[in-house]
Amino acid sequence: MSDTTSRPRWGQTELELPVMPAAPPEGREPLIRIRDLNRHFGPRHILRGVSLDVYQGETLVILGGSGSGKTTLLRHLMAMLRPEDGRITIKGVAAGGRDLDMASASDEDIESYRRNLGVVFQMAALLNSLTVLENVGLPLVEVDRLPPEQVRERVVESLRRVYLPAEEILNLKPAALSGGMRKRVGIARAIIQRPRIILYDEPTTGLDPVTVNGVNELTLDLQKRLGVTSIVITHDMNAAFMIADRIALLYKGRIVACGTKDETRLNPHPVLQQMLTGSTTGPLTEGYGS
Amino acid sequence: MNARSRTKDTAAEVVTRSHAGRAAERTGGVLMKQARHAGRGVLLFVDTCAQVRNVGSVLPQLMRQVEMAGFGSIVVLALIAGLTGMIMAMQTGFELQKMGLQENLGAIIGATFLREMGPIWCAIIILARVGAAMAAEIGTMVVNEEVDALRVMSINPVRYLVLPRVLALVISMPLLTAIADFVGLAGGALVSEAMFDVTIAKFKESAILLLNGPDFWYGVFKSGVFACIIGTIACDRGLNTTDGAEGVGRATTSTVVLSVVFVLVSDFILNAFIQAVMRPIFG
Ligand SMILES: Nc1ncnc2c1ncn2[C@@H]1O[C@H](COP(=O)(O)OP(=O)(O)OP(=O)(O)O)[C@@H](O)[C@H]1O
Ligand SMILES: [Mg+2]
Repeated sequence: MSDTTSRPRWGQTELELPVMPAAPPEGREPLIRIRDLNRHFGPRHILRGVSLDVYQGETLVILGGSGSGKTTLLRHLMAMLRPEDGRITIKGVAAGGRDLDMASASDEDIESYRRNLGVVFQMAALLNSLTVLENVGLPLVEVDRLPPEQVRERVVESLRRVYLPAEEILNLKPAALSGGMRKRVGIARAIIQRPRIILYDEPTTGLDPVTVNGVNELTLDLQKRLGVTSIVITHDMNAAFMIADRIALLYKGRIVACGTKDETRLNPHPVLQQMLTGSTTGPLTEGYGS
Repeated sequence: MNARSRTKDTAAEVVTRSHAGRAAERTGGVLMKQARHAGRGVLLFVDTCAQVRNVGSVLPQLMRQVEMAGFGSIVVLALIAGLTGMIMAMQTGFELQKMGLQENLGAIIGATFLREMGPIWCAIIILARVGAAMAAEIGTMVVNEEVDALRVMSINPVRYLVLPRVLALVISMPLLTAIADFVGLAGGALVSEAMFDVTIAKFKESAILLLNGPDFWYGVFKSGVFACIIGTIACDRGLNTTDGAEGVGRATTSTVVLSVVFVLVSDFILNAFIQAVMRPIFG
């Protein structure tokens, strides 16, 4: 579909129309339910009513242009930002297995939720003063207070799971690792507490194609073997179609498209089509250039 | 003519007033911002104190910080204190010699070092060497999302990052102050003997009253307070870094500037407090 034929059918306001979360796939329960989430930074309205369901055990990929608020959305899911408006509820992760309501959650609830949460940060976010062993084992040492032998065992297991030569790198500092290895170590740290939910912020940006595939396979693998629910932010279309169960598009602070891979391919939404084709003409680049 | 000049006056007045207004607004804005920052710093300090009961869990970090902050600063601090002691002995010595009072060099240098020079030099060296580095390190961690990563792992950054740093300063700065006092006096004694024929024994005799009095402890006490101020400012600035690498630079600079100001302001207040409250009790 070319942009010139699609444009007359889509006015700017229609482009921004939010989609309501679709009916659950195969009757599954939503684990995470986001409703009408808003966020301002100063006068700027970044998230403008995000509504999204994430189902137990699925991998949801969130696409979106630079600055569309993807990381901001993820930070809400990390409980780093509380919803200023709207609701985020997560099933059975609050203290005592209750549902978590992000707006009214106590510190104890948040702590219990985070115990079930792994986050892969964009730049891996390893602590530079610590070795790989200390980095990956950090939550076990600091939160679970496990003895050193047990920590080491779990760290080695976790590093093996991300296909790293554990024995070789255990005592290296992050600065001595390549970018791809660092990211894998970041993933190893994210999964070491065996989380139920993993959030990935652009896990493959800046990596070579082989490592990209490695990280993608790892995401799939973790979903299959550990049954985790994953939310993945990425700019990489191949990755999105490789790992996603469903794909959502964040545009101008709203989810404007959300569906399975096939639905996404067939969705005529111009922003989505522009992201899929990588065309430089389209609503994402409107007003840029000449 | 009259009317025209009046209009001109009024126009000029409007311009000045709006300039003044804007300047006042800006000053007000800056003051409000600084007040907010100060409030935030106080909260961070309270938070840090509340975490002291968890000190057992951060012992390795504490050791590392003491090593970096404390041991790393000994040489440069001793050098500066020693030189200051020598320079002071020289400068005051010439004047005292004119009046034949050079025997009192020990008391003068002792008083200056124990009361002010020791703690203040120690604070200056630590805030420039260690406070700035702390702000830069924590600021970089914020920019690299490392602090976010800690939070997500339910590791309290105040316990994990701030507590060992502030505590390391509280432990090492009083000791460093004692070292600065000693080296400064030694430097003074050397110059006194070499230039003014005041033997070391005489120098000591003149300083002994001070050395035996509570002044040494007042200085050490002050340096403990300075440690809290510098550590808290550095960590607060680091933790509130925004805007990437540029922000790290800003955090570092403002740590140094703010620490100097707050150390001196608190020095003034503490001296008044010591004179009014502690001297009547301890002498
Ligand atoms: N703490 C903050 N303070 C002020 N503005 C912020 C803050 N965090 C994010 N923003 C703004 O919100 C907008 C969305 O940021 P966000 O990081 O969520 O984008 P993104 O979709 O992740 O982009 P990218 O793909 O480039 O990572 C940006 O314009 C950013 O300037
Ligand atoms: Mg981002």
